[in-house]
Amino acid sequence: MKHYIAQRLGIGLVTLVGMSVVIFLLLRLAPGNIVDILFSTGGYVNPSERLAIERELGLDKPIWAQYLDWVRQLAVGNLGKSYRYDLPAWEIIAPLIPVTLELAALSLIISVCLGVPTGVISAVRQDTRLDYALRVFSLAGLSMPSFWLGMVIILGLVSWVGWIPPVTYVRPGENLGLNLIQFILPALAVGYRSSALIMRFTRSSLLEVLREDYVRTAWAKGQTGRVVIWRHALKNAILPVVTVIGIEFAFLIGGLVVTETVFNLPGLARFLVQAILWRDYPIVQNLVMIIAIVVIASNLIVDVLYGILDPRVRYGD
Amino acid sequence: MRRLSLVVRALGLVLAASIAGPGIPPTMAQTPKAGGTLHIMLREDLSQGFAIHETSTISTVWPAGPCLSNLVIFDPAKKVESLGTVIGELADKWSWQDNYRNLVFFLRKDVKWHDGKPFTSKDVKSTFDMVREAPDAPVKLRINPRKDWYANVEAVETPDPHTVVFRMKRPQPSLLMMLASGYSPVYAAHVPAASYRTGCVGTGPFKLKEWRKGEFVDYVKNPDYFVKGRPYLDALRYVVIVERGTRTAAIQAGQLDAAFPGETSKTTMEQLKKAVPQMVFHEVAQTVTDNIIMNVKKPPFDNLKVRLAVSYAIDRRGLIQASHQGGAVLGAAMLPRPFGVWGMPEKDLLMLPGYGKPDEMKARARKLLAEAGITPDKPLHVEMATRAIAIYVDMASFVINELKQVGIEATLKQVETAQWHSMATRGEYQIGANLTGLGTDDPDANFYENYACGSPRNYSQYCNEEVMKLFDRQSQELDVKKRLEMVVAIQKRLEEDAARPILAQRLDYFAHWPHVKGLVPHHNIYNFPRMQDVWRDK
Amino acid sequence: MATRPLGIDEAAALPGRRAGSSVVAVLARFCRKKPLGAAGGAIMLLILLTAVCADQLQTYDPIATDAAQSLARPGREHWLGSDHLGRDIYSRIVHGARVSLIVGLASTLLGSVLGGVVGLLSGYVGGKTDLITQRVMDILQGLPLLVLALVMSASLGPSIPNVVLAISIPIVPRAARVIRSSVLSIREMQYVEAARALGLRHLRIAFRHVLPNTIGPFIVLGTAQLGSAILVEAALSFLGVGVPEPYPSWGRMLSVSAAEYAQKAPWLVLFPGIAISFAVFGSNLLGDALRDTLDPRLRGS
Repeated sequence: MKHYIAQRLGIGLVTLVGMSVVIFLLLRLAPGNIVDILFSTGGYVNPSERLAIERELGLDKPIWAQYLDWVRQLAVGNLGKSYRYDLPAWEIIAPLIPVTLELAALSLIISVCLGVPTGVISAVRQDTRLDYALRVFSLAGLSMPSFWLGMVIILGLVSWVGWIPPVTYVRPGENLGLNLIQFILPALAVGYRSSALIMRFTRSSLLEVLREDYVRTAWAKGQTGRVVIWRHALKNAILPVVTVIGIEFAFLIGGLVVTETVFNLPGLARFLVQAILWRDYPIVQNLVMIIAIVVIASNLIVDVLYGILDPRVRYGD
Repeated sequence: MRRLSLVVRALGLVLAASIAGPGIPPTMAQTPKAGGTLHIMLREDLSQGFAIHETSTISTVWPAGPCLSNLVIFDPAKKVESLGTVIGELADKWSWQDNYRNLVFFLRKDVKWHDGKPFTSKDVKSTFDMVREAPDAPVKLRINPRKDWYANVEAVETPDPHTVVFRMKRPQPSLLMMLASGYSPVYAAHVPAASYRTGCVGTGPFKLKEWRKGEFVDYVKNPDYFVKGRPYLDALRYVVIVERGTRTAAIQAGQLDAAFPGETSKTTMEQLKKAVPQMVFHEVAQTVTDNIIMNVKKPPFDNLKVRLAVSYAIDRRGLIQASHQGGAVLGAAMLPRPFGVWGMPEKDLLMLPGYGKPDEMKARARKLLAEAGITPDKPLHVEMATRAIAIYVDMASFVINELKQVGIEATLKQVETAQWHSMATRGEYQIGANLTGLGTDDPDANFYENYACGSPRNYSQYCNEEVMKLFDRQSQELDVKKRLEMVVAIQKRLEEDAARPILAQRLDYFAHWPHVKGLVPHHNIYNFPRMQDVWRDK
Repeated sequence: MATRPLGIDEAAALPGRRAGSSVVAVLARFCRKKPLGAAGGAIMLLILLTAVCADQLQTYDPIATDAAQSLARPGREHWLGSDHLGRDIYSRIVHGARVSLIVGLASTLLGSVLGGVVGLLSGYVGGKTDLITQRVMDILQGLPLLVLALVMSASLGPSIPNVVLAISIPIVPRAARVIRSSVLSIREMQYVEAARALGLRHLRIAFRHVLPNTIGPFIVLGTAQLGSAILVEAALSFLGVGVPEPYPSWGRMLSVSAAEYAQKAPWLVLFPGIAISFAVFGSNLLGDALRDTLDPRLRGS
């Protein structure tokens, strides 16, 4: 087991390093840098002033030197300074994390609460009209662009009710009720989408298990249907679902970007888009690395859970 | 007798309502109430914090305005700005001397910076030496967009702690206009200029409480503000909302009390009015124009005939209807009346290319193109560059359609913000659809920035020595009537040279809830950010 | 598993297809067994036809502006209304199908083929090459899809080929993973060992024997990714870095302008969004059904 975890950890680290290089290079591929943006807010361009600012920010060094600087800083826990805000990157990023975390957590909870039961019902009542209806409902969630859903919700609310959730972020500590009101709609928008995948996997893995011999044996033996399902089938069906929840977490990020923008939540995803537009390299690099770490960590946790739950993995591989 | 007085009163109200504009209740003298917080719209986070001298965008001026003060400002209560509406802020009085060659300011003696230090002439000298890049200036700006505003200033002298003298190379009455713009606040000499990018030490009516990046800017009332009894409000909060639909929804739902300058288009106004009938709208000009830039240094637009053809082809009224739904007005380089005082008279305006009947104008355009060797079977292919922002793209789409009808096939190239200014400054384009905002509707500011030889914002690279001499002459003309004639003639000349034809002057329908009082938008988006006279009715 | 003599043809046969049955019979069986999938197929066919016949189906030129008809309500003149520049929404949606389909198909094809080749070779060769390739794929997959596409679009500039490239890149690792796992399971099969024993060159084995058996998963992957590609294109266009003017794009029709006029003209927001949802819905239905039919083993992937 320990060997398994260590191996996975090693792979994760290698992946992280690779990602840091990729995001570093990719960013600099985009034409124009922070200096261009600064001049654009100034409304003019001056080549000599440009050189001076680039020197000040260390952008005149060769790329590999800049990369090494970044890595060296990271090693001592220094995330660098935001080009746009002239403040330590961590100071700017830190307040964003709880917002995205809350939205992601709420979305995940909603998607599981929505996806697992509908998947179970759909599997148990396979090929009935209820099954079809649930599958269509869940697939509709997967098919709608998340930004559209958010837009329609806000516009619908303001047109019919004259009210929208608060546009300024309310901390859970300040006012938990208002905070939940603020987060419930965006979490529903994101959660609905994620629930589709979870529903499908729950349904398909449960179907597979239901066909297994031991389940049929239990039925033949006369144990009542519900007991059979809950005690035997679900336990084994949970495994792939856990995998999917882990994968879904990564897909969540994409939906978060537009949802945070539309509902005006000051989270990581919304900030990332702005930082990319501003070519604020330190912020983008650090945010992407944070997201990567979260994704890799969640994959690792899923892998470990897999290892614990599935004895074939533990001793095989 | 009683019925007559009722009728008179009713007529008076109707008259007042019609003068005040759409949606404004008849002006009645009300006593301002103290207290309350105002929530104000921001459409993006501050670009460089409160460093107004390092940016040229309303996104800095609007939220940074309450913190700082100018030497002089335009009267907050008057929409139309002119030399006649300039009032003192940090300066008590001022006096022109030596035939408008020296400008002396007598400063207030009771002003303190937000950190308690006293305000003196040293602060003024430090700020303007920095902006004009005086050789011995101790402070230097990283980005300095308005250096050319002060090109004529030879020295800034401080004979005593409450007197400042701007000594100029030649007479320039416009200097006062530029100093009154929202772009010209006074920085503190005792803090580094770079500190304004993250915080704000000012003399303004509100003190910065917190800037939560990407979320909001919070201000509290400055108890030591030098105008006694002001500000009325206790606090201000500028809320950042990046998504257009959400912004409108927020002010509609009452979570915002006032809009962002330039943000309320005619259609948005109509929607808001329908949903909230009591909402107040002010129809104001922005001192922002839609214009076409053409690179005069490269073919095909080095040919005057081709440029004129472009100007003729674009139906100005059609553009106003199509791209603005009527929310813009005809005008040349300077704001037309009644919005500004330097505009061309209507009869002169209507003689310009593109202002007449569309069919006739397009026929003229085709004739000019034929003279240049371009015919419908040999159309001209060009690339039209524009910024990748909706308002630019809409304008460009309309223009491309117009040009198609006279034999110019233009393909649209969207340029990202990061590259737009370098592309334009380096002349790496043929023709572009552009928006230009001006810190003050002043001929000097406009002509020298946008049409002078060698100016970094003269994207067309238009350079005409004769016209430059005209700029200099009007800049020194002290007789206002004579100057107006010169300025009108220059505007006509600029449109005839067609290096940067003006398509329309944009309007804003600045919106705020009726309980917001004392907030009077000007015909210039940059010049009413101070909030010193604003109060809440409930 | 008991050994049985295998002919090359049989090995190349798609599972589920009985030798000698006609295409029509196969389709009919599919429609009967998987009605939802058939519905999805019908939707995709409808969209394909719309895209191909866009010029015939349109009622107005989709990029012609008409100020007098600005924000017209849906009615006889403009079936689905018009936008703020007076452009007909119905015609723009019809042409938008073309754009969405082209971008979706091109990027899915590009990404799947690239990823498929990488997965095929990596799975077949195995060893260190496989390990390194897998890590590279992990890296590509770990980067959030939208962020990757955003940065790429910003780098390459907004144009259709660039958008296709940007959307195809995140598909590569997913395609590689699916094909690779399929290859891994086939590689060990005895007929491949037999082929090797016979002395056939590796490349020949890879492409002639292993590849055809990956077609099933490939098709499934393709239809699944098509829906996702359409959504990403919509999101990119919505954010302003996708398909540029003047090509009508469903996603761009929903961006700034729509939000601004949405309350006065809700049809600006409703119809393009419905179009996107419809297309993705169809591709998902079809993809699900194909997956169930062609390779039950993949139901969980």
